[in-house]
Amino acid sequence: MAASPMVNPGDQPVWVNTDNCKACDICVSVCPSGVLGMKYESTSTLGAMISIDHPEACIGCNECELTCPDFAIFVADKKEFKDAGFSFAKLTDDSKERQAQIVANNYMSLSEQGVK
Amino acid sequence: MAFNYDKYLRLEKMPTLWCWGCGDGVILKAFIRAIDKMGISQDDVCVISGIGCSGRFSSYVDFNTIHTTHGRTVAYGTGVKLAFPDKHVVCVGGDGDALAIGGNHTIHGCRRNIDITFIIINNFIYGLTNSQTSPTTPQGMWTVSQKIGNIDPTFDTAALAIASGASFVARESMLDPKKLEKVFIKAMEHKGFSCLDILSNCHINLGRKNNMKNAMENLEWIDSITMPKKKYDALSEEEQLNLLPTGILKQDTVVREYCDMYQDVKDAHQGKRAKITQDDFTKKI
Amino acid sequence: MGELREVISTGNDLAAIAAVDAGCEFFGGYPITPSSEVMHTISDLLPAAGGACIQMEDEIAGICATIGAGMAGVRTMTATSGPGVSLKAENLGLAQMAEVPMVLVNVMRGGPSTGLPTRVSQGDIKQASNRSHGDYRSITLCAGNLAECYTEVVRAFNLADRFMQPVIVLTDETLGHMHGKAMLPTVEDVKAGIVPRKTFDGAPEDYRPYQCGPTEAATLNPMFKGYRYHFTGLHHDAKGFPTEEIETCRKLIQRLEDKVMAHQDEIELNEEFMLDDFNGEEGEVLIIAYGSVSLAAKESIRHLRKDGIKAGLFRPITIWPSPAERIKHFTDMTKNVLCVELNIRQYTEEIERASGRLDLEGLYKVNGRAISPHEIANKVKEVF
Repeated sequence: MAASPMVNPGDQPVWVNTDNCKACDICVSVCPSGVLGMKYESTSTLGAMISIDHPEACIGCNECELTCPDFAIFVADKKEFKDAGFSFAKLTDDSKERQAQIVANNYMSLSEQGVK
Repeated sequence: MAFNYDKYLRLEKMPTLWCWGCGDGVILKAFIRAIDKMGISQDDVCVISGIGCSGRFSSYVDFNTIHTTHGRTVAYGTGVKLAFPDKHVVCVGGDGDALAIGGNHTIHGCRRNIDITFIIINNFIYGLTNSQTSPTTPQGMWTVSQKIGNIDPTFDTAALAIASGASFVARESMLDPKKLEKVFIKAMEHKGFSCLDILSNCHINLGRKNNMKNAMENLEWIDSITMPKKKYDALSEEEQLNLLPTGILKQDTVVREYCDMYQDVKDAHQGKRAKITQDDFTKKI
Repeated sequence: MGELREVISTGNDLAAIAAVDAGCEFFGGYPITPSSEVMHTISDLLPAAGGACIQMEDEIAGICATIGAGMAGVRTMTATSGPGVSLKAENLGLAQMAEVPMVLVNVMRGGPSTGLPTRVSQGDIKQASNRSHGDYRSITLCAGNLAECYTEVVRAFNLADRFMQPVIVLTDETLGHMHGKAMLPTVEDVKAGIVPRKTFDGAPEDYRPYQCGPTEAATLNPMFKGYRYHFTGLHHDAKGFPTEEIETCRKLIQRLEDKVMAHQDEIELNEEFMLDDFNGEEGEVLIIAYGSVSLAAKESIRHLRKDGIKAGLFRPITIWPSPAERIKHFTDMTKNVLCVELNIRQYTEEIERASGRLDLEGLYKVNGRAISPHEIANKVKEVF
């Protein structure tokens, strides 16, 4: 039994519920900003688990949450986040480049080797 | 706080049994967001699903739910809706459920134009039972019941719904969940039979057996065979052959809805109006 | 039970009238000879009373819409004949499994397959016991005269709500199309006798629709009233959600059996015609018949008695579960037993099982014609 924690655990722009993540890679594939990557995880069925590697680069586009089929990733509500004094990042060429590398790395975090 | 899905979920059933990356989950979330945006009370909604992976839809959501026999969601929905015409009835079926065994009920639900929203989750295969050909599986693809290559021609779901008389017909894919949410709202707000062809990815039982090795490649394939209606209409017939137009493909707000017409039947039997005759209808054949 | 009123009608019309009098609010049908008139009549009566009747696109859609309305919480009915029951089998099974109350009227005709659409038979007796796959107990009633085409439908609705499952009312082409006089209870008495399904009134979070004692039926609240739960044909837990857990599955199926069999006294109904003076002496003749055949049987008994033969009729009105004990009581007492049916031994086999006897005589007809009182009387004289 797993709940979907909509409540921001810290003051994060994006957070995950690893109980629900099935390691499908979709969120990693749609992030424009290289925020996410998969890390090896021997106890998970596909041997991998979602990891938020660069939260500081999150632009709050919400694509990861919308395309996640499994209630595993959440993005802070824009207004609430701003009211709390935080802000999302802007999309930069660096973060776009990093995203391209992550995709080329078969969606694995750049610190991990390629094929799952 | 992110969007509160918990309110609409049967939490003890989570996580879903759908495969990793299955579009069903995206569609489920978009549906929940749509209901929430419309402000409909959970008690006023009945969700009915059939057999197949999409059939599990109804057990995950906290509404009045029914999991029926294969292909019969619209027939069950017709009973619920006629007995309680002011409630929301949403039927969910797969391409096999809605177009093969359930084809007749789909056609007649469209014909009656009864106020049901019918979400056909079209993943081009029989997923739950592992890769048998469905009425939308492209010719030439590998399926387990036609391993040498599928020869069965395909349905155009939207064309079928339009020809059968549905007053709201739309097609979207789960590639754009925001568009999905919008079309669900429009479909549920529409008074009449709303038939939705929602394209989804089954990379486990279709994709990876047909040169699409993961969910993303299956999604790219769906992207490659869809095109917004406006752009599609501008193409030649040859260019249109391997594309499906997306968006709202038909919206008729004039034609009468079935329960509305049945109220006339009740009124006539109770002496509140005259008998129903051909003069009551513009369409006389 | 108050006074009776005289009504002149047909069996099919009476079934429709009974349904509306008994509080039926939905009918999902499809035309099939010889039952169509039930739908024709109820298509006028139901909307006049605020209910809904719809002719669906096929037999299967008919039963699905009917069950859907039952799941939504209203009293619901459909009518058909043998081929229609065959088509409806899968979904009747869902109604059994999910414990949805509904009434199905089967106006029996010549079978199998297309058979003899406009002629009589009692060929669906075994089908009524086991129309769908898997384990469950059928509740099947069989009208034996015009009045019972009304009273048995009324009883069926109350039994359906009491036991939370489909109840089949068998009539046949003879009774369905017979036009004559019936003595019926008043509408007030019928309405006063309505016992609706049990409902749960506590807090929604405490509601467990399928949590009940081992011989109890589920408590299924109507939809849209704040109690949200799940219907499914899969094995399910107390809330209705699918499960494969070993004990839950075993208990569920056993309960579907026991909820009926432990309360047979509430379901059993027989007619014992001219059996008061039976005491086991030589020469007594027991006839066992049901449905329209019982009319001929009774007439034949009057003739036989005039001819000095002490004959009597045991007529089960509730066919399934069978009145095994009562059957045995009479078959133990009486040496000469004649089973009469418009099929080949379908209920005879159950009588053999109940009585433990394999020496019963039989008179069977399967050519779509009725059995006459003379045929029964002559058979009795021939074999006994």
